[in-house]
Amino acid sequence: MLKIDHLTKQYGDTLAVDDLHFDVNPGVVTGFLGPNGSGKSTTMRVILGLDHPTKGRATINGVAYRDLKEPLREVGALLDAKSVHPGRTARNHLRALAASNKIKRSRVDDVLEFVGITSVANKKVGGFSLGMSQRLGIAGALLGDPGVLLFDEPVNGLDPEGIRWIREFFRSLANEGRTVFVSSHLMSEMAVSADQIIVIGRGKFITQGSVDELTANAIGTVLVRTSDNTKLTSIIERLNGTVHQAHDRELTVGLLTCDEIGQAAFAAGITVLELTPQRASLEDVFMELTAGAVEFGGGHIETMRHE
Amino acid sequence: MSNEVTLMSVAKSEWIKFRTVRSTNVSVFIFVFLTIGLGVLISWLVRSHYSNMPLAQRLTFDPVSTSLGAIIVAEFAAGVIGAMFISSEYTSGAIRTTLAAVPTRVRLILAKLLVLVVSMIVVSEIVVIATFLIGMRIFSGVVPTVSLGNGSVLRAVLLSGVFLTLLVLFSFALGVILRQSIASISVFVSLLLIVPLLGFFFPQSWQDHFQKFEPINLGGSMMAIIPNPQNFAPWGACAVMAIYVAFLLVLGTTLFSRRDA
Repeated sequence: MLKIDHLTKQYGDTLAVDDLHFDVNPGVVTGFLGPNGSGKSTTMRVILGLDHPTKGRATINGVAYRDLKEPLREVGALLDAKSVHPGRTARNHLRALAASNKIKRSRVDDVLEFVGITSVANKKVGGFSLGMSQRLGIAGALLGDPGVLLFDEPVNGLDPEGIRWIREFFRSLANEGRTVFVSSHLMSEMAVSADQIIVIGRGKFITQGSVDELTANAIGTVLVRTSDNTKLTSIIERLNGTVHQAHDRELTVGLLTCDEIGQAAFAAGITVLELTPQRASLEDVFMELTAGAVEFGGGHIETMRHE
Repeated sequence: MSNEVTLMSVAKSEWIKFRTVRSTNVSVFIFVFLTIGLGVLISWLVRSHYSNMPLAQRLTFDPVSTSLGAIIVAEFAAGVIGAMFISSEYTSGAIRTTLAAVPTRVRLILAKLLVLVVSMIVVSEIVVIATFLIGMRIFSGVVPTVSLGNGSVLRAVLLSGVFLTLLVLFSFALGVILRQSIASISVFVSLLLIVPLLGFFFPQSWQDHFQKFEPINLGGSMMAIIPNPQNFAPWGACAVMAIYVAFLLVLGTTLFSRRDA
């Protein structure tokens, strides 16, 4: 089990992680979700003992990373896939890693085979595509057959087939009882690959729960089509609802229920042509939760959707 | 069987890393090639001009230092080997992967040192002995020669190999402190070449006191068989050089342990 205990990390004047406190349990895939620059990678680096926490600590089964006797056998991590000397071959890179933790040489060939890069094992890593580098990073994480696995943005650079492969892979690791902690800024990815999700923004903990729990708590929007949209808009605004002109004749109303909108329209003598509740997606929830916590916000929220 | 990470397991890993990148192999090759190749050239030139040398110069002629004259150039290859062994990990970001596998930072530095000391002392000694022996063959008959059987000659030749190894460690320590290849190598070259040049701007009486502390003069003392009264005695020079290296290594390791990777 991975425990983040009131962790704070400050770089100069920048507070990268602000009093984060949560547990990551074995047997499930835990997603670590937040916009770019929200402190996910910093948290990962502190877990691995690469960066020193300003306050608090991170422990693996009760032990700080730096005190682990056999680190690669306890924790496997993929941070930046390019954190490899470009002039070394994939096999030699893994051999050196294995040797440091007294892992058998045959294991190197096993993990190369498992991630499907045996054919380029003797090629220099510098020539690898991002997808191949990701696979090499995963191979490195698996070398010691660890019980805790950390992946920082593992989906980046993978093709659709690779993405599907990695989702199934996370699932199987969790089913084997391992602790799987995966960060991403892509809510859609987390919705399909994670069981539990921890949401952070600007270094702060926002919420935690299963995908269903997170979406259930959020209020959805209602799609409305009426005979007089202009009139209804002013009524909704008076009721403190939000209105968004979706199409010519459709409105997307937030913060009000179907019942409230229907009754308000009836009272004003407006004919309701359509009234459709729309369930919030994890993406909507994420947007709502992190709206104030986007480090590098675009002019319009649309910019966040495509990666 | 315990699978605990130990100094030896990390040293084994670092040894694999040391010999599996082309930059190290090329640097070591240049180091060997420069010392021997340039040494042969210098010895030939000295042989052909020896008869024209002024008597005063012939009386203080040092066959060991002369045959190993190329060391002054090989020093820079030594600097590249040492600095790159750590700085290339920072440049590529590989240091994070390394530290995730070896979280005890002092152990990582010690393992890297072990690899550098053992490999570079072997390479350096073989190279200086070979260069010296080839030089004596070239000198023979024209220029006075000396033999390794003589105690101070053996000391001079072996200490020149020790000097080169200490330079590799000196530069490695700079790499640990500065974390960038270009910065480390620039500072290394500056300390070796530029600082002595600056010395010339000071009064002669100051120069007499400080010159003997310059790394190049320390190396000169270590490989001389005719002592220069201005400089340290050979073993004294070796000790001063070792103190420099130890100081930089302690500073580097302290910073390395405290800093974020």
